Amino acid sequence: MALTFLFALLALFLILGVPVAVALGGASLAYIMVKGLPDVLLIHRMIGGIDSFPLLAIPFFILAGHLMNTGGITTKIFAFARSLVGWLPGGLGHVNVGASVIFAGMSGAAVADAGGLGSVEIKAMREAGYDVDFSVGITAASSTIGPIIPPSLPLVIYGVMASVSIGELFAAGLIPGLLMAVSLMIMVAWYAKKRNYPKDSHIDFCNIWATFKEAFLPLLTPVIIVGGIATGIFTPTEAAVAAVCYALLLGLAVYRSLTWRHLVRVSMDTILTSAAILMIIASAAVFAWILTSEQVATKLGDLLLGVTDNKNVLLIIMMLIVLVIGLFMETIAAITILVPVLMPIALTAGIDPVHLGILLILNLMLGLLTPPVGMVLFVLAEVSGVKFEQCVRATMPFLVPLIIVLLLIMFIPEIALWLPTMVYR
Amino acid sequence: MSQKDQIDAMLEEIEEVTDDISDVSWMDIPVLIVFAALFFVVALQFFTRYVLNDSLGWTEEIARYFLILLGFVGGISCVRLGKHIFLEFAYYYIPVKAIKPIILLVETITFAFWGYAAVLAIELAQKTRSNMVSIDLPKAYIYYCVSIGCALMALFSILILVRQARRPAQDIIEEKIPFFVKAV
Repeated sequence: MALTFLFALLALFLILGVPVAVALGGASLAYIMVKGLPDVLLIHRMIGGIDSFPLLAIPFFILAGHLMNTGGITTKIFAFARSLVGWLPGGLGHVNVGASVIFAGMSGAAVADAGGLGSVEIKAMREAGYDVDFSVGITAASSTIGPIIPPSLPLVIYGVMASVSIGELFAAGLIPGLLMAVSLMIMVAWYAKKRNYPKDSHIDFCNIWATFKEAFLPLLTPVIIVGGIATGIFTPTEAAVAAVCYALLLGLAVYRSLTWRHLVRVSMDTILTSAAILMIIASAAVFAWILTSEQVATKLGDLLLGVTDNKNVLLIIMMLIVLVIGLFMETIAAITILVPVLMPIALTAGIDPVHLGILLILNLMLGLLTPPVGMVLFVLAEVSGVKFEQCVRATMPFLVPLIIVLLLIMFIPEIALWLPTMVYR
Repeated sequence: MSQKDQIDAMLEEIEEVTDDISDVSWMDIPVLIVFAALFFVVALQFFTRYVLNDSLGWTEEIARYFLILLGFVGGISCVRLGKHIFLEFAYYYIPVKAIKPIILLVETITFAFWGYAAVLAIELAQKTRSNMVSIDLPKAYIYYCVSIGCALMALFSILILVRQARRPAQDIIEEKIPFFVKAV
């Protein structure tokens, strides 16, 4: 009874547009009061929820991502990606995917990718005579690679909520992220053939070398982060700190583009994003505690396991739940609500939590590309001047390769689990 | 201009970095200090572990406390600037007229929640007798800071409530949802 009340109140708050942290905390507080539990539990659990060393990776990865936007690094990466894959038919489409992959190794968010890099990519593709639907679609779809390839904020949050090693999650994201890129590039090639898209340039090894030299220092960032974590030298938090130090070094000593004002600006942006995320995690900790003490997952698990004990069927059911939630909910909010429910079921059914994490995040990314919420689409509609409905239609075909990758990872867990098994187990 | 030059010219444009710090106020100074301290503590741990091969024991605990402060003190700036994450999908489907009362209700709920959390944090601080593990300070200090953070979040919610009550619904919605496009 009290539990129904909890869920109803949470749903109502979220629909009304109450900040997610307040909605989770407020509904939990109401539950605690109805149950007659000591209400000081609320703040105790909230503080406990963010009293966590792995969570420190969040502000530092955000800061590193912001710092990497200085000094025309975006431009250097784009130029390198262009010389590398621009000679393929449908050139700028491939460049779009390639640049997203490189940026994915530096920043952990999808929406930021769409806003910064996306606006350039769409403009460039338009000028070069590509159809608008193709430009918007590939830009939207490729921005979702960011949170799968490490570093990734959603994966850090999943790791903390589910008590799973973030290093393993990061290692597990690498191959699926590259697979997403390959599937999108196949899609680009198919479009290019069908619509006879031009090559952007001819293959020119001197140019590749020249742009590579230009982009070399920024390109070391993903090497430090991804390489450092995948080889087990760094913990994710340490990799984040190393990335920040490296970005500061580039900004201060090499490009000399980092000003005091800019440092305040990026610090403030980092603080705002981090604090908003931390408050959600804090409140979600109270919510998760209630779900655990009410044994919600056990009950739901019994229900599901009563229907089937086939691991794959269970995975499909879970992914359908995630897909529906992802349509309506912002990624981080969705993770914090879904993990305490799904995690225990997955463990009972023998599903690897690392495997589940990658599937969960990839699945939630699809929600960013679909209405009614579709954050990436809103951003792209804004920066490209294309109507929202048109963006929706343009992006639909590009969901196909992403869904195929999701299904592949679902039924061949080794795609995600091979690398972490090699490194950590 | 050739196509290639046009693209290059466009790439030049994004070289410009936003350095607009007009929305940063003196009220953000405490959280900027917390953030800087957090960075130095974690960097110190990193340095002592890799370079000196002997990590300082207290850094991990202190870093966690700074992270808690980053959340609760940074949360104030989030309330002030409307940066807390919320789900906006319902706003696309309800009439603009109905949006204003809903937003006022939302601000009231926000105020009540943070206000109550501030009281609870003081209660928790008064119940806490233990000290921090690695340095000799009462752990209750952290809880008092959390309480101040929550109280200021409540205060700013009230200020925003008053401000929003005076404005037309269209302005409120455009401020809250920068990419506001009414769904058809």
